[in-house]
Amino acid sequence: MAENSVHVQISALRKIYQTRREEIEAIRSVDMAVQEGEFVSILGPSGCGKSTLLMAVGGLLPISGGTIEIDRDAVIGPRRDTGVVFQSPVLMPWRTIEKNVLFPIESLGLRASDYRDGVAALLEMTGLGGFADNFPSELSGGMQQRVAICRALIHNPSLLLMDEPFSALDAITRDTMNQELLRIWQEFQKTVLFVTHSIREAVFLSDRVFVMSPRPAVISKIVDIDLPRPRTLEIEETPAFNVYVAELRKAIEG
Amino acid sequence: MARPDENGIAAQITTQAINLAPAAVISIAILVLWQVIVVVLKIPEAILPTPTRIFDVMVERYDLLLAHTWPTTLQCIYGFLLAVAVGVGLGIMLAFSRLFRTGVYPLVIAFQVVPKVALAPLFIVWFGLGTTSRVLLAFVIAFFPMVVNTFAGIQSTDPVMIRMARSFSASRWTIFSKIEFPTALPYIFSGLKIGITFAVIGIIVAEFVTAQEGLGYLIVFSEGNVDTPMLMAAIFVLSVVGVILYALIVLLEKLVIRWDVGQQL
Repeated sequence: MAENSVHVQISALRKIYQTRREEIEAIRSVDMAVQEGEFVSILGPSGCGKSTLLMAVGGLLPISGGTIEIDRDAVIGPRRDTGVVFQSPVLMPWRTIEKNVLFPIESLGLRASDYRDGVAALLEMTGLGGFADNFPSELSGGMQQRVAICRALIHNPSLLLMDEPFSALDAITRDTMNQELLRIWQEFQKTVLFVTHSIREAVFLSDRVFVMSPRPAVISKIVDIDLPRPRTLEIEETPAFNVYVAELRKAIEG
Repeated sequence: MARPDENGIAAQITTQAINLAPAAVISIAILVLWQVIVVVLKIPEAILPTPTRIFDVMVERYDLLLAHTWPTTLQCIYGFLLAVAVGVGLGIMLAFSRLFRTGVYPLVIAFQVVPKVALAPLFIVWFGLGTTSRVLLAFVIAFFPMVVNTFAGIQSTDPVMIRMARSFSASRWTIFSKIEFPTALPYIFSGLKIGITFAVIGIIVAEFVTAQEGLGYLIVFSEGNVDTPMLMAAIFVLSVVGVILYALIVLLEKLVIRWDVGQQL
């Protein structure tokens, strides 16, 4: 891991949606600095604009004011060094699992043959070793979302943007996925920006949690999660964990 | 969708045969009933020949039937292919160009209201009695479902899928060729299946009117001679041609679309 240097810098970010009748102020002003290799969650109630913030960092939405910099470089569109995981897996039903994971490679104009081994390794690592030639419809929701994570990692981005990636999964699958995500993160040392509305998920995963207020959004609180790593599910039973949960709940309820 | 036993082609053919068995039994029952009614009621051949008589004609005059089957089949295919090229092409243009949507689409819809069969005499005036007129009639009848289905198919693309592609710096061409077009394929195949049956209608009507060659010509010619057995033999051959062309498209669809369309449509 690189020494503590800022990877993502968000300054006075503002986002206004223009509807036919009125302007909706989704984000009033957000400042964030995310360190290289850090796991940061953005926590907030539904509709508070946290996904909007993430999509803006991904260069997928124009912003109305302020700046977003990745490696001191202003974000003006999608970048090659980011990987995005969406709320739904959005796999292409006509492609096999291997071909789905290879999509970013084709899209970025790289040679697919150079990344076949990489796909195999990622699938193996996420427990999908035997499924390279299956179609998405043959996989469960949790497995499909794992494929989406492999797809976001295949081109070896330094920044992973995750938009409530496990919110559609059942609680048990979700716990498993959270542990796997930590394992992957620890192995690859990526910077992760993780959007969620689950307090426990945010505490379990993160180094720091940014709490977003309801619209028009600002960052209402930043909590450092000083829990030992590697973390396993047992940590959720510890007093320290639950103190963080209580603190964040209070912050959200304002 | 339930998957058939995957033990191999033999098992699949057996499954297909079992699926088709009830329809086959009913068809045979209808033919037997037809035969009995015509014989018992002594219906004249010029009104309704027996199935065996029609079959005899098909065997005896197979050379004549075959000679007229070829031009009909080929012209169907030409008209159909022309309709695919123009229809799918126009559908894509409609999906991508606002100018086409606002300027051309209303005209296409307005044109669809015109009963295309009524254009046959006009085509004869313009292009004569030859192949061109017949192929063009098949084309104008068959192309509309291709346009509409291609357009609708591209429009049905999941916007999140497009956003996903953009997040990996996909170009406009990549988004079209790797996401929108595959999404549209099942819709396009629906259009092809409708289109091929329409193309057959177009050719037959054109052959009625131009009266040069083909099964449509053979039908009106036989009617003029009060040769009802030949007329019905020609209709039967025509149906077989239609079924084969349709089946070829279904086969192509099965080869191209190997994924589970259920979650897509």
